[in-house]
Amino acid sequence: MVGFLKRNPLLLLVIPLGLVFYFVYVGIGWNLWVSVSDWRGLNASYGFGGFGAYIRMIGDSTFWISLRNTLLLFTIIPICIVLGLVLALIMDQGLKGTNLFRNLFLLPFALSFVVTGTIWAWMYNPSSGILNSLLRLIGLESLTGFWHTSQQTVMPSIILALVWQFSGYVALIFLAGIKSVPQSQINAARLDGASQFKIYRRLVLPQLKGALTTSVVIIAMFALRSFDFIWVLTGGGPGYSSHTLPIQMYKETFMSSRFPYGAAIGNVLLVLVLLLVMPLTYRSYRR
Amino acid sequence: MKTRATASGLCGNGRGSAMDSSANGSASTRVLYVLFYALLLLFAVFYLLPFWGALTTSLKQAREVAITNPLAFPSSPTFSPYLEAFAQLKRPLLNSVLITVGGTLGSVFLGSICGYAFAKYRFRYDNLIFTLLVSAIFLPYQAILVPLFQTIRALGLYNTIPGLILVHTAYGIPMCALMFRGFYGDVPDCLIKQAMMDGNGPWRIYTKIVLPSTKIATVTVLVFQFTSIWNEMLFGLIIGGPDSMPATIALNNMMGTLAAEWNVQMAGSMWLALPVLILYIAMGKYLIRGYMAGAVTAS
Repeated sequence: MVGFLKRNPLLLLVIPLGLVFYFVYVGIGWNLWVSVSDWRGLNASYGFGGFGAYIRMIGDSTFWISLRNTLLLFTIIPICIVLGLVLALIMDQGLKGTNLFRNLFLLPFALSFVVTGTIWAWMYNPSSGILNSLLRLIGLESLTGFWHTSQQTVMPSIILALVWQFSGYVALIFLAGIKSVPQSQINAARLDGASQFKIYRRLVLPQLKGALTTSVVIIAMFALRSFDFIWVLTGGGPGYSSHTLPIQMYKETFMSSRFPYGAAIGNVLLVLVLLLVMPLTYRSYRR
Repeated sequence: MKTRATASGLCGNGRGSAMDSSANGSASTRVLYVLFYALLLLFAVFYLLPFWGALTTSLKQAREVAITNPLAFPSSPTFSPYLEAFAQLKRPLLNSVLITVGGTLGSVFLGSICGYAFAKYRFRYDNLIFTLLVSAIFLPYQAILVPLFQTIRALGLYNTIPGLILVHTAYGIPMCALMFRGFYGDVPDCLIKQAMMDGNGPWRIYTKIVLPSTKIATVTVLVFQFTSIWNEMLFGLIIGGPDSMPATIALNNMMGTLAAEWNVQMAGSMWLALPVLILYIAMGKYLIRGYMAGAVTAS
């Protein structure tokens, strides 16, 4: 056995590649078939059952709410990028304690969505939660609200909490991008009499394209996969107002046993990833 | 290569900061400094406020929670919410430890083999296979949940810890492979060629040369995977059950049943956050390096 492996070392790759091939690519094909199968109820059935699941989507208002909310989460991207860039620029000033601040800003990103979701449920709790208490304390009584428990404010509340969780990470990516600009270029610009502002604008910012793409891709992926945090904070409610596609997929499949419909929603998410995220990564793979 | 450049930049080997070489001490510079610190402090408050509120609440008695300001530190802190939360989360926390350790070791080992092969060997279709492998990082899990659920049930692994270890191993491999390929690319080819000429096979080279010279990389990926799996919830929800429930699911279930007892819920959150916090404090450098290496997928 050992000798055989010695002569054919690539056989070691069979286990990891086989696992990924089965659990990812076979899974995708299988799921495509489930979405058009005649599977009804709990017991799996794999005869052809038509495109009912996709037709159902068109008339399903919950699906459209979920899709809209999923895309609405993309507003996190520009907010995080502006915030992250500002933080990164401040952290590039060589101030004492910068590393401590960086670690503090990054802390929310390190924690589980279940932890942050639970904590933000307490933040937003309308009666005695942290945010409303704080607003009362500083005399901004008028700004207190129902946050995640009201249909009008639930999505903005989720977006604010996710900005809190992601912006520190975006700042870290931008900071790394800024630090990777060669010092020699900056010295040369300074010798030419360029101001610090001009150096940032003309020299540093144009070199942050990679960091920008990275941030967009990572937040977009989290937005399209948005399950844990919303599930913990609101469960998709109140009503259907914070349903996203992953939430609806879970409820349709595992709570209502509509397996083909759940599979179809999963496929919509896959298409969204292929359309919105993969093109951004493709260019970088080729390089 | 890019991974290393950015990671080392953060760890202090890159260029210095913008103001290092500019003339310090002028009045306007000082005003700017004060402004920058004010902004940093403001953001620090923004990022820490929820944690502070969770901490103070977790140290209060239930009746105290209702009548005091959530941001006020309790006059007589109590650990009883922590004991109560631990009593409820004991078994799920143990499950989480087993799942996380198993899933981390599995995905890091298998990902490391892939990273080694794709960094140091050329074979037929290697680029295509690697692209397919890495593309799996972007998989929205909802697109495979139904087949996954069916597979795990068919294997008799539904509601078992080995089932969750298997799933975390499989879906962890792509990210680990990508990170390791980046790190192993830095192992000098001449070392490997020399070892080959001495008659060593790929496996010996992997264990005797590549692994020992990339210990930091291994720690980085281990820490990264440990926190990812520990924090995860979706798979636990789909294929875990009462006997194999990870702590993330148990904490979320607690919310449903104890709607009023915020102190216990906050203490439970703290229990769940604790291992990550310890890693963050003790090995923050590695965790940050891992985040950067993870980010390189797109840059």
